[in-house]
Amino acid sequence: MRSPARDDISFAEIIQIVAGAQRWGVISENRIIPMNFELTPEQQTLQKAAIEFAGSELNSNVIERDARQIFSREGWQKCASFGVQGMPLPKEYGGRGAGPITTIAMMEGLGYGGSDQGLLFAINAHMWTCSIPLLKYGTPAQKEKYLPGLCDGRLIGANGASEPNAGSDIFSMQTRVTKDGSDYVLNGRKIFVTNAPVADLFVLYATVDPQLGAAGISGFVIEKGTAGLRTGERKDKMGLRTALMAEVVLENCRVPATALLGREGRGAEVFHYSMAWERACILATCLGTMRRQLERCINYARARTQFGQPIGKFQSVANRIVDMKLRYEAARLLIYKTGWLMQENKSADMDAAMAKLYVSESFVKSCLDAIQIHGGSGFMTELELEREMRDSVGSTLYSGTSEIQRNIIARGLRL
Amino acid sequence: MDEPEIKAAVKTYILNEYLPGEDPAALTDTTELMTTGILDSIAVLKVVTFLESHFGITLEPHEAVVENLNTLSAIARLVMSKKA
Repeated sequence: MRSPARDDISFAEIIQIVAGAQRWGVISENRIIPMNFELTPEQQTLQKAAIEFAGSELNSNVIERDARQIFSREGWQKCASFGVQGMPLPKEYGGRGAGPITTIAMMEGLGYGGSDQGLLFAINAHMWTCSIPLLKYGTPAQKEKYLPGLCDGRLIGANGASEPNAGSDIFSMQTRVTKDGSDYVLNGRKIFVTNAPVADLFVLYATVDPQLGAAGISGFVIEKGTAGLRTGERKDKMGLRTALMAEVVLENCRVPATALLGREGRGAEVFHYSMAWERACILATCLGTMRRQLERCINYARARTQFGQPIGKFQSVANRIVDMKLRYEAARLLIYKTGWLMQENKSADMDAAMAKLYVSESFVKSCLDAIQIHGGSGFMTELELEREMRDSVGSTLYSGTSEIQRNIIARGLRL
Repeated sequence: MDEPEIKAAVKTYILNEYLPGEDPAALTDTTELMTTGILDSIAVLKVVTFLESHFGITLEPHEAVVENLNTLSAIARLVMSKKA
């Protein structure tokens, strides 16, 4: 933050005050201007490149692919070549070694330039619930085996935690794991598994005893084709239709001890870690879309004339756009602050929940505003606003519903 | 490390992580942590991770239960038994 907080203090006076404080040792050199809301030049360059890349490479036939629920493996591979999937992963595994803020900046750029929200959602699911927990909790052998492929696009990751009777109450899961010698045997059913129909690798959670709650859960990384693991029918859904979803069924699925992800009984910790990343980063693409929609609505409100003047001159239209602007700015601050907290290794549970809650609900509202501002045209598929609205609704549900985010925030407030 | 030192270390951790701004005197050796909701299921796992890393012990899933983790006194007893 570089501008003075009060109108009656000049910038030169502030510099004088700071210099005086430094001389007296009240503040040190490296504590001047501790807040800066701008991306670094490198991050800006990356974001700009992401916008151009997404705009030129990811937007073909989205209307048709949305209607027919077609996942773009080609787009997936292009993203991997651009470095998307490997962005937060270390270079030794083929990643870019970027921190949370740089990764968020890139994802915002993809959401701004790209209109295939389903593909971006599929990549988010892959990164935050498969690659990231593998990086944190995987054994050296697991990392060596899977992370390069997860970075370069050869492997698609999926995550199975939710069950028919364990959604928001995730630790009441019933999928059981029993030990047989050194092997583990899993039985149960996971629902809402994003990428399941196309996944090569599954991070799945099971409990040794439902009575133990969170303490009974273990995480596993299981390859496609493992005997006893099968994916069910692809699920039809309202939005994000280019990201495919299905059930995963485990029937006496026997895996070796090397499939355990993290320690036995510590699966809840693995899951919590991946959710923290996901809540913090998954809506960065939505943030980019909100910015694009805002600019589109401003341009439209300036150009579209009714009753002899641009519609932006009508307060009822202008107010909607003002609200969109405010939502975008507040959403941006929440997401980047959460990224900053994670980069600083500070606790971000409540901030990630606030970002997830606010951005998702703002995204839905802004999508509806964008349609309303465009009138009847906004209702038409060809303008692609109706698809974005359908896509936005999922954001209030995945990675923990808005209700669960409010619970997390309330808990953080000790209520 | 004796029992009072263990309690002090755990108390500092819980105050910092889960009760920021709380009067330290309000967190006594017998304050119920799990049954009153100060520690939820995820917080319990984080406390377990803290205990393992700070005291160099290993806890099994069946040990992360209310009997062992509901008060500072119970936690201290658990840590002492593990280090014995």
